[in-house]
Amino acid sequence: MKRGLPILLGVVTVILIVIAWFQSGGAEAHELQAATTPDQAVRLMLSQVKAHNFDAAYARLANRDDVDKNAFIREFDGSNGSLLTYASMESFDVWGLKTNEQDATVRAKLHYSTAVGPLDDIRDLKVQHTGDTWKVLWPVSKAPKLPPQVIPVNYLRWDVISRGASDDWGVQNVDSPQVRVVSMNAIQRPDSVVLVGEVVNEDSVPAYVNVGATLLDPSGAELAQESSFDKISHILLPKQVSPYRIDFPNMRMEKIKSVRMDTKALLVPASADPVIEVNQQKLETDALGKKVLSGQLLNQSGSVVNIPHVIAAFYDSNGKVIWVSDGYMAQALLPQIPLPFAVDLPPDVAKNVQTYRVVVNHYDSTSQS
Amino acid sequence: METSYFSRPIPLRFIILLALAIHGPLLALQLPLTNSYDANFHVFFASHYAHHWFDPWNPKWFAGFSQTTYPPLAHQWIALLSYVFGLHWAFLLVQLIAVLLTPYSVYKFARIWVDERAASYASLFSVFAGALVFLVYSAGQLPTTLSAPLYLLALPYFYDWSRSADGKALIKGVIFTLAAAGVHHVTLIFGSVLFALPVLWLAVIDRGERSSVAVVIRGAIMAGIAAAGVGIVLLPYWIAIIKHPIEQMPIPHASRSNLILNITYLTNYFFVPYGMLVIALPFILWYGSAVRRLRPLMLGFWVTLIFGLGGTTPIPRLVFRRAFEILTFERFTLWAVMMALPIVGYIAVKLIDNYKRRAAIGLACAALITLVLPMVWIAISPFSANADLNVDPVDSFLNRDGHDRYRYLTLGFGNSLPKVSTYTDANSVDGEYNSARLLPEFTHYGTAQLTSAKYFGTAGMDALRMMLRHAAHYGLKYIFVHDPYYEPLVSFAGWRQVESYNNGSITVWSREDIPPARPVPSDAMPTALEGLLWGTLPLASSILAILFAFLIPDQARVRTEDVVVPFPAPTPEGALVREAR
Repeated sequence: MKRGLPILLGVVTVILIVIAWFQSGGAEAHELQAATTPDQAVRLMLSQVKAHNFDAAYARLANRDDVDKNAFIREFDGSNGSLLTYASMESFDVWGLKTNEQDATVRAKLHYSTAVGPLDDIRDLKVQHTGDTWKVLWPVSKAPKLPPQVIPVNYLRWDVISRGASDDWGVQNVDSPQVRVVSMNAIQRPDSVVLVGEVVNEDSVPAYVNVGATLLDPSGAELAQESSFDKISHILLPKQVSPYRIDFPNMRMEKIKSVRMDTKALLVPASADPVIEVNQQKLETDALGKKVLSGQLLNQSGSVVNIPHVIAAFYDSNGKVIWVSDGYMAQALLPQIPLPFAVDLPPDVAKNVQTYRVVVNHYDSTSQS
Repeated sequence: METSYFSRPIPLRFIILLALAIHGPLLALQLPLTNSYDANFHVFFASHYAHHWFDPWNPKWFAGFSQTTYPPLAHQWIALLSYVFGLHWAFLLVQLIAVLLTPYSVYKFARIWVDERAASYASLFSVFAGALVFLVYSAGQLPTTLSAPLYLLALPYFYDWSRSADGKALIKGVIFTLAAAGVHHVTLIFGSVLFALPVLWLAVIDRGERSSVAVVIRGAIMAGIAAAGVGIVLLPYWIAIIKHPIEQMPIPHASRSNLILNITYLTNYFFVPYGMLVIALPFILWYGSAVRRLRPLMLGFWVTLIFGLGGTTPIPRLVFRRAFEILTFERFTLWAVMMALPIVGYIAVKLIDNYKRRAAIGLACAALITLVLPMVWIAISPFSANADLNVDPVDSFLNRDGHDRYRYLTLGFGNSLPKVSTYTDANSVDGEYNSARLLPEFTHYGTAQLTSAKYFGTAGMDALRMMLRHAAHYGLKYIFVHDPYYEPLVSFAGWRQVESYNNGSITVWSREDIPPARPVPSDAMPTALEGLLWGTLPLASSILAILFAFLIPDQARVRTEDVVVPFPAPTPEGALVREAR
């Protein structure tokens, strides 16, 4: 007992730790270090990126001489105040697409947690067999650079003079801008009821707009109350139209008798700058087989747009809004350099889409202060 | 007669003065309030009792929650003392009492296992315990550090009653248990069992001619009386958790992870709290096994050590099941250390008897390193409680011009959120006490405070998005941002920046279409009777404990011949040989 018990407890402790080590994936992580398959090579590199161990991740590249390390880091950490600079990789899925003895293609789906919600990034990576291990062949991309130039800014801007610093904004003693919901369509989705439509600023001054909706049952009682949240462009310039979407999770259309729409509008300062052009829009099927509306954004101004937010309204043959999709761009929108975008839409909606319209909302870190 | 300092027990008075000398200045520097995770949270709870003693419904967090979900005694003592000293100094005073009680209680606890000299060493080492320093100055867990010594004080009475049916021991043991339970529920539910079982086992070993069954039955009787008492004293707590059991999504906590897969976590939850005890671990097992009377304590220590390792072994998850996802495991480490100390005291006696001055110097150095390690770790650790943020402008904003008619949210404030809440009349939708949350925006997502949402990844940001979506429902108009990370979401959701403070490090955002806040109906609101019980019984149990401690002397135990337990002492022959050399 005197000698046996401490030895027994020591052995049991070690056994318990080893069991938990296996349960926690310690063995797999150890096995991953060898990178004996293309999948393992990609997993190893991405797990090092996830742990922010960029030196080790960079060391796993087959073409280190061709890839600038800082550019490699920016691929994951973002730059220019883009959404990726407000993001961290949470997890990833990896699966092989094709493999032979010397090289392979592996698809990786990176799941980021960002400041505005989850973001997925899908990449097809080439992997090369070098010696007894596999290494990732990172795509070499040259970031386009513009020559120095002057971009004149001559867009409209509206300022509002308030009574004093102690005033709340919105307490302005002026009439609210004339804002109107021009359309509203209720759609039953498998897990929710969705209200989509458009709102227009009919005034000659800019407006802060928010659209809320309350669902009422046959007795007139409130079923649920939601707002458009970030699925709207809150600042509308004179005559500007924004799509909106309001989601009611876990709701069935049969329960609803009526909807009470609530549009709030306030006079706010605003600027028409930057102007963001939307080009080459088309409905297509992406690599994962999902229906998407893709296109390009072009920032016509001279300043960086940190986080562009695309909101797309889809219309049927009668011109009725049948869906509203939105998506945040992972990269910043640099002046004069096109940035591709894609927002997805449900396949059953896609077959009824005749036309679409895209508006671009944006966040600029410099304009907030 | 032995005259060497090394061969005599250290006077308890000296040890408590040493604890005062070491921890007094550290507490006077307000380290827990500026560095720890939970200190401001406890001040916030105390502040509510100071203003609404008999109304445990607190509307300031989560659009209203019941403080009966957390035993009130530590907070109520802070509230009482705050009328004289103010909230911050009252908190520090109660924390100091906990720190001073620790060596005293460890001495009393150790005396049932080892002789007076070893117990005094155990008591001395408790002043330097890394786990205590870690919990006081880094975690800010006042109730854990106060209830543990109260339980330790109850245990000798549990031993006496179980062993010899001493009625006074039964009364004092029960009343100390009630006071300890009134301070902290987790220590009550888990810690008390871990401490009590080895003591009961020892009572069986020391039963002499008595029946072991009788000893166990007496132990069960005292446990039953204590359980009934706790049931009454904390009745509103039981009502609250029965009505609303914790069914929310598990919230990740580093202490539950496999520590050996992350060196930072291993340092934070193992090396720092154990300090030099890590080196002593094999000896604790060895000597704890070698002495029959120490075996139950050693096994209790080992089990608690395993629990304290969280996800490093599969045992805690298997034993606690669903509770594993709710518990945090750093407090188990404090209990493990407290259980180890009597054995460490015993080892120290052996070392000092054999190596005299060299052993004393070595042990002193080890104790100092164990004390200093957590302080150094607090300074260099990658974790930051962010508890020392200047929130005065935020409170000033909320308390003027009717801004408190709306609810507010802080983002990036870390553990400074309770500081904001303590000194404003405005209510928040956020809060720091996970177990009290009933709003679906919290319970459906695996996240803790919204103010720290980004650290919980997608779950945290989804919960924040959901709360912002329902801003109009909750009257959530003002958002204070201390981390630019949150600005894009707040901006896209329609808030606009209206002010900034502290050279722009805090920005204020507002949405003007938000209506004033309305009370959110909740069935968790305690009744007036529950409020009355909550405001009287726990405090009464603590006052009774203090009275009994002074009015019913303990000497009865040591005066009774048959209670004195012979303990293996160093053999006189060995000492004679050393003297001859």
